[in-house]
Amino acid sequence: MRTALPTRCMSSGSPLARKGRWIAVAFAVAACCLVHPDDAFAHASERGHVLLLPTGYYILGGAAAVAVSFLGLMVLPPDALDRLAALRLQLGHPPEKLRIWTSLLGFGLFVVLVLAGFHGSRDPLSNPLPLTIWTLVWVGVTLLQGLVGDLWRWVDPWYAPVRVTARLFGGPFARLPAHFGYWPAVIGLAAFAWFELIYPAPEDPAILAIVVLVYWLATFALMLIFGHESWSRSGEFLTVFFRLISRFSIIGTSDKDGSLQICWPGARLSTAAQVPVGAVVFLLLALSSVSFDGLSKTFLWLGLNGINPLEFPGRTALVTVNTAGLALTFAGLAAVFFAAVFIGERLVASVEPFHKAVGLLVWSIVPIALAYHLSHYLLALVVDGQYALVALSDPFAVGWNLLGTANFQVQAAIATGSDPAWVIWNVQAAIIILGHILAVVVSHGLAFRLHADARKAVTSQIPLTLLMIGYTVFGLWLLASPTAG
Amino acid sequence: MSNTRDKAGFANSRISRRTAIKGLGAVAALGTAPGYVRYAGAQTSEPIRIGFQAHKTGIGAAYGRWYEKTTMAAVKLINDAGGINGRPVEIITEDDGTDPARGAEVVAKLATQHKCDLVYGTLFSHVVTGSAPVAGELKVPYFVVSEGYHVASGKLNRWCLQPGITDVRSQVTSVAPWMAGNLGKKVTMIFPDYAFGYDHRDYLPPALKAQGAEVLAQIAIPPTETSFTKYLPQIPSDTEVLYHVMVGPAVLTFVKELGEFYGSSGPQLFGFIDSLEAVDINSPGLEFLDGSHFWEGSPRYAQENDSDAQKAYRAAVGIDDNGASLQDPKDISTAAHMFGCWETLYVIKQAMEACDYKSTDDRAKLVEATEAMTEMKEGPEHPQGDKIFNGKIHQAFGHQNISKLEGGKLKVVHRTSIEDGQYEPQADYTTTPL
Repeated sequence: MRTALPTRCMSSGSPLARKGRWIAVAFAVAACCLVHPDDAFAHASERGHVLLLPTGYYILGGAAAVAVSFLGLMVLPPDALDRLAALRLQLGHPPEKLRIWTSLLGFGLFVVLVLAGFHGSRDPLSNPLPLTIWTLVWVGVTLLQGLVGDLWRWVDPWYAPVRVTARLFGGPFARLPAHFGYWPAVIGLAAFAWFELIYPAPEDPAILAIVVLVYWLATFALMLIFGHESWSRSGEFLTVFFRLISRFSIIGTSDKDGSLQICWPGARLSTAAQVPVGAVVFLLLALSSVSFDGLSKTFLWLGLNGINPLEFPGRTALVTVNTAGLALTFAGLAAVFFAAVFIGERLVASVEPFHKAVGLLVWSIVPIALAYHLSHYLLALVVDGQYALVALSDPFAVGWNLLGTANFQVQAAIATGSDPAWVIWNVQAAIIILGHILAVVVSHGLAFRLHADARKAVTSQIPLTLLMIGYTVFGLWLLASPTAG
Repeated sequence: MSNTRDKAGFANSRISRRTAIKGLGAVAALGTAPGYVRYAGAQTSEPIRIGFQAHKTGIGAAYGRWYEKTTMAAVKLINDAGGINGRPVEIITEDDGTDPARGAEVVAKLATQHKCDLVYGTLFSHVVTGSAPVAGELKVPYFVVSEGYHVASGKLNRWCLQPGITDVRSQVTSVAPWMAGNLGKKVTMIFPDYAFGYDHRDYLPPALKAQGAEVLAQIAIPPTETSFTKYLPQIPSDTEVLYHVMVGPAVLTFVKELGEFYGSSGPQLFGFIDSLEAVDINSPGLEFLDGSHFWEGSPRYAQENDSDAQKAYRAAVGIDDNGASLQDPKDISTAAHMFGCWETLYVIKQAMEACDYKSTDDRAKLVEATEAMTEMKEGPEHPQGDKIFNGKIHQAFGHQNISKLEGGKLKVVHRTSIEDGQYEPQADYTTTPL
């Protein structure tokens, strides 16, 4: 695998340049390990190599692996998982005082990016705003949140400005009505998903600059009114998403004293608190939107809608049909999930309220959502991440070299050809299958919190396990199918 | 827009984004220096602004990336040699997402907001046909590099021109004599069942008939098909030549299944490199293509008898002897098509010089000057070869290459004459007012 190391070293010895060097090296290391087809660069032939692979066996094997995991859990002593999940390595308290400064850095970067969106290159692969939002944040930060920990909390571009403004002018001025729950975040995520997946030009720098600026201002105002933490917890969709995803990560804060701890991936999901229905819907929407992104490009979806994939008419022609498709995918996943939990609870004649069961068991969606996100977008990170390194070094296309990466030669074909296709497919398949196996494990642990009786706990999980087997098959099929668009 | 210098090109293999920017800056600085003559004659130092309608994202992104590299390479040479009419050339890139509706917006934006002198560089046919009406309404010259027959057919408007690449009708027509004379006279066609396939379906049979050959069967494959075993038995057993123009992700499966169907025998194969543009010809699954023939607009692989102009062009764009990026041998270029960007830019240069183009007020003069062009000589400006331009239908005609795949490389075995690809014009744009 070729690395993405810069072809020329930066000449400047400035702190920024030194920082850039480290960023470049870190990225290159990441690029060595991660590959995935990239939508932006997907030439029609890349999936062609995958079509020649025996993907059917992988799909069967994946389904079997998830099923066997469930059977294995049946014979595992219930407390064995608990003991494993409870293992913690204490890291001490995080330096809270630094948060305002790191957030200020995040805000500063945000300002530069928005200015670049308005005044930088018109080319979405040269302008740092779309590359940062769609690649570094939506893909890169999600990856870090899910695997490492809640880093977003430290770079959130609202924390510092809201805190400074509130100190000057007071606030918060109102309590967030309890019945709002997570619904503002659900609406935010739905709008975001529509903009990302269906709006014709989400990568246009000027359009994106307007959208993110308006969203930042609206969020800033709402945070001033209701308080930063209050709106972050259930209103600002990006923070809500990143927090939910970070529950899977290996570094987290103790629910008791807020100290940092290291644990097994997904271990903190088993102790997560029950969430309201709004949060359940939020997670299902997050998973279904990524699923639909994959589905909407398949020959099957295009053929069903009378679209010739070889003469893909562009996103504009698909706004209506894909809006319906996104809504249907969400509705379908939500219906199946709620039905699986409902049937499972009925199988064991559960006395627990239904909202409690879904509010707990939805945590098992987190590993699946993370797996879909990673397998779906990793190549975007590897390829577009290179473009981002170049663009960030010269955000206004005026000849700067802030990070020393402005002359970096982008390896756009890093994942093309039959060998990379084989590697890509295997990495994707492994991520999808592992994600679903972990989901079964997490779900199993959560079921024991609902049902103390082992037989009941296991029986209640049968429908949800079938759903996860089905979603494994669906996920692998999406990645193995011919696509366009 | 406060900054629109070099909006592209940092992916370029030879010209980094920064060096392109620096180059423009250097040009401006030198232009004010005493004794500097190259731009001194220009009445204005304002650059010629060429709007590049680029497929940066969407289905055409792989082509768009190489179109951009070729464009930036040509513009660098043009500027190094003094620009156009003493003025530097500036490329302003806007992504159209390979989306016809956005394409129309991009043409309008480039013409009005960016105040470009012309719009250039579009490849995908549906984007061209979606954008062309806007170019006509705004009266902005629209130089496409699309190889579609839509320009020559007369269906667009007088502001649309295709002087740097031949159209598919011409390509199909031109290969027929060699195919009939060398591979066989009984031909079966397999093509995707939509417009791209129909061009081949409609124009090959009459061209073959003129050579005393015949089409035994035409097998149209639904575009969503990914397995072809049920279609292959439809190929008549007395087929001597199988003419295939499949495109899309299932091409490799098609070739693999074709190989399994015929084993070590089978008819001669003739295809269009469009099927495998930007794809490694030695990929697993394509073994059955060994010994078969392809049309190529410009050869992917360096040839023994390449002209100096061809060698210089390849070096400037940054492709190696295998047609891959000099920086990344896995990054296979779209060699059969991208030369059209290079040649179109030089046509624009020649036409602007011929009409003494000064400002957007001269846009109509630029169209007329292009229409007045007739012959283009092979050389640094036309490395693919001579061209004849038909000003009535706004279309260039040129030589085509027929290459044989052997030893893992495509070797040109025949070069068609320009006359082989000419057909009776069916339109005359010059009769419509500008």
